[in-house]
Amino acid sequence: MTEPILQTRNLKKNFGKLEVLKGISVDIRKGEVVSIIGPSGGGKSTFLRCLNLLEIPDEGQIFYQGQDITDKKLKITKYRQGIGMVFQHFNVFPNMTVLENVTLAPTLEKKVPAEQAKEEAMALLTRVGLADKADEYPRKLSGGQKQRLAIVRALAMKPEVMLFDEPTSALDPEMVKEVLNVIRELTRSGMTILIVTHEMGFAREVSDRVLFICDGVIKEEGTPEQIFTCPHEPETIKFLSMVL
Amino acid sequence: MDKIIKIWLKYYPVYLSGLWGTLWISAVTVLLGAMLGMVVALIRMSHTKVLKGITDLFVEILRGTPILLQLYFFWIALPKIVPFELSDTQCIVAALAVNASAFISEIIRAGIGAVDKGQWEAARSIGLSETHVMTRVILPQAVKNILPALCNEFIATVKGTSLASVFFVGELMTSYKTVQSATFLALQSLVIAGMIYFALNYVLSRLLRVIERRLMVSD
Ligand SMILES: Nc1ncnc2c1ncn2[C@@H]1O[C@H](COP(=O)(O)OP(=O)(O)OP(=O)(O)O)[C@@H](O)[C@H]1O
Ligand SMILES: [Mg+2]
Repeated sequence: MTEPILQTRNLKKNFGKLEVLKGISVDIRKGEVVSIIGPSGGGKSTFLRCLNLLEIPDEGQIFYQGQDITDKKLKITKYRQGIGMVFQHFNVFPNMTVLENVTLAPTLEKKVPAEQAKEEAMALLTRVGLADKADEYPRKLSGGQKQRLAIVRALAMKPEVMLFDEPTSALDPEMVKEVLNVIRELTRSGMTILIVTHEMGFAREVSDRVLFICDGVIKEEGTPEQIFTCPHEPETIKFLSMVL
Repeated sequence: MDKIIKIWLKYYPVYLSGLWGTLWISAVTVLLGAMLGMVVALIRMSHTKVLKGITDLFVEILRGTPILLQLYFFWIALPKIVPFELSDTQCIVAALAVNASAFISEIIRAGIGAVDKGQWEAARSIGLSETHVMTRVILPQAVKNILPALCNEFIATVKGTSLASVFFVGELMTSYKTVQSATFLALQSLVIAGMIYFALNYVLSRLLRVIERRLMVSD
């Protein structure tokens, strides 16, 4: 078993009076693919967003390669460069071309020379079938293409971990596959991946482990086999009976 | 009517120089006001409580007192504060710019606020510094919301500069006063000034609409 790359200990997050995360502790090992499932409002997105500090947890710790990243002295920007995130609504930058979307962060924050950044970006765009769109603006892209661009934009920073928050939920059905194919390929490349998804079939296929998050806690976790064929907790059983 | 024409034929250079004065004073006012307004807007959106309190108060005071009072205040106070010589015009332009900055900072804040929250998150998630998030991702998109409102502010400023004629700074209303005291035809010389203001603002608001449409297309 490889060493953990990302760990949380008793992670808590409130929005005003609303307790959204009520103490989440989990170890993510290097190269592991972890799916997060659970009912709406259960705190899945909030958990994921805490992991790259888009939300600042109220209590608890997050360790990245053994280092506590909730420590105020840590440079958040630097940390985030190692953690890629893909959002439900793509959030590609409309004021830049496809290529510029991808090269922006590497050239600005990692000082990668423009030529090299462009080469690497083109290689990534080719991998997801967007090379011919490099000089287009995102408004010309379909939803599926935008999401593939968003994935490439994150990959361009060569992150250690990728976080996906319902990457296909905002897509028309015919585009879900092209995006899942890209993510599937990524899961085979040995990258550490956390993915919140309602695509149960996909979760079952690609995950090493499944977390069922409900009411701000991990109610149940296990291999896809365990969770999908013989769940123990009543909440899990109820949730799965509704979505499957 | 023929008196108006006669006045125009004799005094049009005075009016034109006044028009020129109004235009450059407005342009400088909006330009300086936009730069100062940007600083104020960024501070007001930051999380530093003390600075934020100061700029909030700054904006409230400028919005809550008459502009004519502000012009007098700068005209009296500014020469006493700065260590170098200031002309009346410079004092007045400074006052107009500071006044405009209060309104422009609101415009900028609203423009930035209208950018999708997801853009901030995406920009942060790829590890951009807060400065780069702002300058590379948010502001370029906010400009679309800001520019039309800024043109509106320019039009408002064109009208606002007329107050500066109290100090004879050489804009259009100063021209009116000059012509009026030379001809003793108060109404006619005023009508000419009014027509020039109207024509100017008519052209400007047309121009604004063209700009707005351009921005829409590039969406
Ligand atoms: N910024 C916020 N301010 C206030 N409340 C929030 C905020 N973000 C999330 N919440 C609330 O926290 C709860 C959990 O939200 P979260 O988005 O984490 O759920 P989720 O499991 O991702 O649900 P879904 O499947 O619908 O995406 C919800 O009740 C939501 O309304
Ligand atoms: Mg969610």
